[in-house]
Amino acid sequence: MQPLVSVSHLVKEYGSGANRFRALNDVSLDIHAGQVLVLMGPSGSGKTTLISVLGGILSATSGSVRIDGREIVGMSESQRPALRRDLFGFIFQGFNLFPALTAEENVAIMCKLKHVPQPARAAANLLESVGLADKRNAYPADLSGGQKQRVSIARALAGHPRILLADEPTAALDSVSGRKVLEILSGLARQNNRAVVIVTHDPRVLDYCDRIVTIEDGRVGSDELRRHIRPTPGDIA
Amino acid sequence: MGILAWKNLFYDRVRLIVTLTGIVFALVLIAIQFGMFLGFLDTAANIVENNSADLWISAPGIPHVNGGSPIQEAKRWKALQVPGVTHTANFSIFFVNWKLPNGAFETCQIAGFDLDSGMGGPWNLVAGRVEDLRGEDTVIIDDLYKRKLGVHNIGETLEINGKRARIVGFTHGIRSFTTAPYVFTSFKNAQNYIPMREEETIFILLRTAAGADRNAIKTGLLATIPGIEVFTRDEILSRTRNYWVFGTGAGTTTLMGAMLGLLVGIVVVAQTIYAATIDHLKEFGTLKAMGATNGQIYQVIILQSTLAAVMGYVLGISVALAIVHSTADTDLLIKLPWPVALGIFGLTLFMCMSASLLSIRKATTIDPAMVFRG
Repeated sequence: MQPLVSVSHLVKEYGSGANRFRALNDVSLDIHAGQVLVLMGPSGSGKTTLISVLGGILSATSGSVRIDGREIVGMSESQRPALRRDLFGFIFQGFNLFPALTAEENVAIMCKLKHVPQPARAAANLLESVGLADKRNAYPADLSGGQKQRVSIARALAGHPRILLADEPTAALDSVSGRKVLEILSGLARQNNRAVVIVTHDPRVLDYCDRIVTIEDGRVGSDELRRHIRPTPGDIA
Repeated sequence: MGILAWKNLFYDRVRLIVTLTGIVFALVLIAIQFGMFLGFLDTAANIVENNSADLWISAPGIPHVNGGSPIQEAKRWKALQVPGVTHTANFSIFFVNWKLPNGAFETCQIAGFDLDSGMGGPWNLVAGRVEDLRGEDTVIIDDLYKRKLGVHNIGETLEINGKRARIVGFTHGIRSFTTAPYVFTSFKNAQNYIPMREEETIFILLRTAAGADRNAIKTGLLATIPGIEVFTRDEILSRTRNYWVFGTGAGTTTLMGAMLGLLVGIVVVAQTIYAATIDHLKEFGTLKAMGATNGQIYQVIILQSTLAAVMGYVLGISVALAIVHSTADTDLLIKLPWPVALGIFGLTLFMCMSASLLSIRKATTIDPAMVFRG
């Protein structure tokens, strides 16, 4: 079974000369479809840098990152937006919703960006899938933290991306809202055969994940498989 | 992306008001300053522009049409001998003192014209008849200057340079750049008011045969009549305009005011649109992280600027037109013809686009990784 994401000897450095800093140091990692992988580690260990490189937001200094069979290290800046648009859904700690748009418009704008047919209807369906059908016309300011994060998940699901990258998705949520969000995320990985990568400090997340990878000083510290993932047709053979 | 631009613009009402105020302020400044400049061009030489003469003969070296000095009227007959000249007429413009009812004096300009040819006569007559100027001591003034000259109705009598003058008509909208109103009268009456000998005139106005070469006639006149200067209509028009509008600095000042308005406008609009973009920088970063291209982010910013430009223009041009309308019955002429209004729309778009270019640069250099920084 070929992994959906394959990271090999990945190095990411910031700065140059005497100010050079190595944020990721020889990271190798495979992520399979259907898997919920949690990246844990102390602040500054390189977790966010790792998902930024995985998501094609930051370029790697060296090594290899293959997403769905495509090598992204060395990919030009002009090719990256299409990669991010077509393969990834992003969920942010601060939600990053557009305050001027309603919940449905926030999702629909991503549907349009991803050329999803009938974006308004698709957005309504996605909001329904995260239990927010009745909040379609609400503005972010009128939503609770948990509801905002669910809108953010619906937006990330626009265009059915293969990989969801979530940065501290429960950090700003109370325990009830946090569990609801985690149930949705783990369900999305299992039902829709996609990989979900969650960067977190939140121990509640561990109940919902298949695998825990710790990052320490830019290296993989431990890699613990909590549940075996059944290979699915979505994996590349 | 259109909906994001539209809703972003209206989301923060205070910022929208600030942005539109900046655009409206700049537009009104540009429109009014440029309108005043056009008004100056119009009033500086309206007495020439509305004169049907093809050629003007004057004393040599006059600085402008309001600065002529006497020449012998007899030269008129010599001019008639030059091939191509069909009609000649005397015409005088001269500064005089108008005695107000309270005993004070106001400076005016007598425009004494030949009633038979009509060259140099009044236009836009709204009361009375030009023919009434055949009567002795009769004058026509513009109704914009009634108050200034202490006149209310036709039939009133006043004094010009100590001589009686009776109002027989009013024009509307004949303004004077010098602020000394024109007082139209027959050439014969004008001779009473102007300190000039009977055989003298200030200008000799000529009509030429249809299709005649006016430059050739001008050369013929200069060769035949010594001690004169000959102008085509365009020549005396531009000499007069250049003197009053540029020579006095009035036109340059208003043009510079318009340029300043443009600069202030660009700065104000740039600042507000730039600040609006900075406010939405995280949103643009989010869009970029999620796969939007720089081109799609440009679209949002440019659309926001265009919407602001259109709204600002509609408001700004409405204010400018209201100001123009409110000055219609004053001695200050502000012109805002539709090609200028259209040009100002182009200028508004240019200002807003230039401003958005500055913010585009900022938006496209966003590090998309910023979205992971809380």
